[in-house]
Amino acid sequence: MNYIATFFTHYGAMTFQRLLKGQGKAARMSPVPRALSASCGVCVRFDGQGLSETAEAVDLEGVYQETETGYLQIDSEH
Amino acid sequence: MAQIFAVKGKKDVKNKKTMWMVLAGLVVGSVSVALVLGGNPKNMGFCIACFVRDIAGSVGMHQAAAVQYIRPEIIGLALGALIMSVAGKEFRAQGGSSPMTRFVLGFFVMVGALMFLGCPLRMVLRIAGGDLNAVVGLAGFVGGILLGILCLNQGFSLRRTYAQSPLEGGMISAVNLALLVLVVAAPPVVLFSAEGPGSMRAPVWMALAAGLIVGALAQKTRLCMVGGLRDAVLFRDFYLLYGFIAIIAAAAVGNLVTGNFSLGFAGQPVAHTDGLWNFLGMTLVGFASVLLGGCPLRQLILAGSGNSDSAVSVLGMFVGAACCHNFKLASSADGPTPNGKIAVILGLAVVAAVAALNIQKQKSKR
Repeated sequence: MNYIATFFTHYGAMTFQRLLKGQGKAARMSPVPRALSASCGVCVRFDGQGLSETAEAVDLEGVYQETETGYLQIDSEH
Repeated sequence: MAQIFAVKGKKDVKNKKTMWMVLAGLVVGSVSVALVLGGNPKNMGFCIACFVRDIAGSVGMHQAAAVQYIRPEIIGLALGALIMSVAGKEFRAQGGSSPMTRFVLGFFVMVGALMFLGCPLRMVLRIAGGDLNAVVGLAGFVGGILLGILCLNQGFSLRRTYAQSPLEGGMISAVNLALLVLVVAAPPVVLFSAEGPGSMRAPVWMALAAGLIVGALAQKTRLCMVGGLRDAVLFRDFYLLYGFIAIIAAAAVGNLVTGNFSLGFAGQPVAHTDGLWNFLGMTLVGFASVLLGGCPLRQLILAGSGNSDSAVSVLGMFVGAACCHNFKLASSADGPTPNGKIAVILGLAVVAAVAALNIQKQKSKR
């Protein structure tokens, strides 16, 4: 699971994770990596299969691809 | 989706991250012991609730003569977070996530904390001083956090924040600077206790430096008493909890070395032995803090980092503290008051109602 979606609310993360899980796709909630935010919010880790569903996510802050050394932001809030 | 917006941050190195958190906890615990040696009341190197209450008294919001002082620790904590967030390019002016609801939750966090006589940070410091009443408080705190987690899992949300102007995000820091001027100048209009806990204080420079150091470290590590337990339960992630444990370890060793460790229930400094109300007071603190997204320390740190919602939560605590003393809700070493018991029950009911009324219906953008 090398993609990370960050959210403005815990609720946004939870609904996105449940959306992916409902479709049988891998998704896991965890504290947001410190490098991405100083907030104590949560994020959803998922794999490329769930990428298109980010368009339906509520309270989405950003989408990142995890690389060997850091994070590439590939989408921002909408 | 293929477009890359930005390359952001270096990947967290787990061991390094944990080391920072343990180090931060050790520093917070040690600094707390040093502040007691400097003059603060025992087991009260830091207490966000007590110190915000002291500031409320100092500017005349309440007339409890024993608890009035502009605590430089509070000013330092928020300014330390401001400096660290600006230096790390992490200052984010944001807000608009149900500010009035946060004010009310902050108010009842203070009602619960002044029933127990301490915020979660002081609860930890009391445990490190051998105060077993604080272990009872911890049990209530965990219970409150579990209630909050239950609500999160049901879809509780205070809705999203929005970007605001840097002026809005920095306004709480301007207030802090004004308070700093007041504590240094000490004009006759501000009230400083001549006796009681408010009269027991470390020198201004020491308290301010301690606040700045801990504020900066807390911003860097996201240290949070509520978050530690929340993440451990929700995600089996123990990162924040390491800080919690490190504070206890450092403060306990410091207390043993300085002769301030005393194991037991009775005769503990600025504490009472009513187990039920220590438990329920901290249940209220834990429950409301999960809904706010962090403990009082964390609210102060986020406020300094530009979050005006957290600033409003702190203001709720400030007004709550004044009401606690004006309406005789705050406990003393003799125990809780009848009014305080009613307020805690009322607080639990209000927080439960706030939680229930903010459960969002499942929705997506489709």
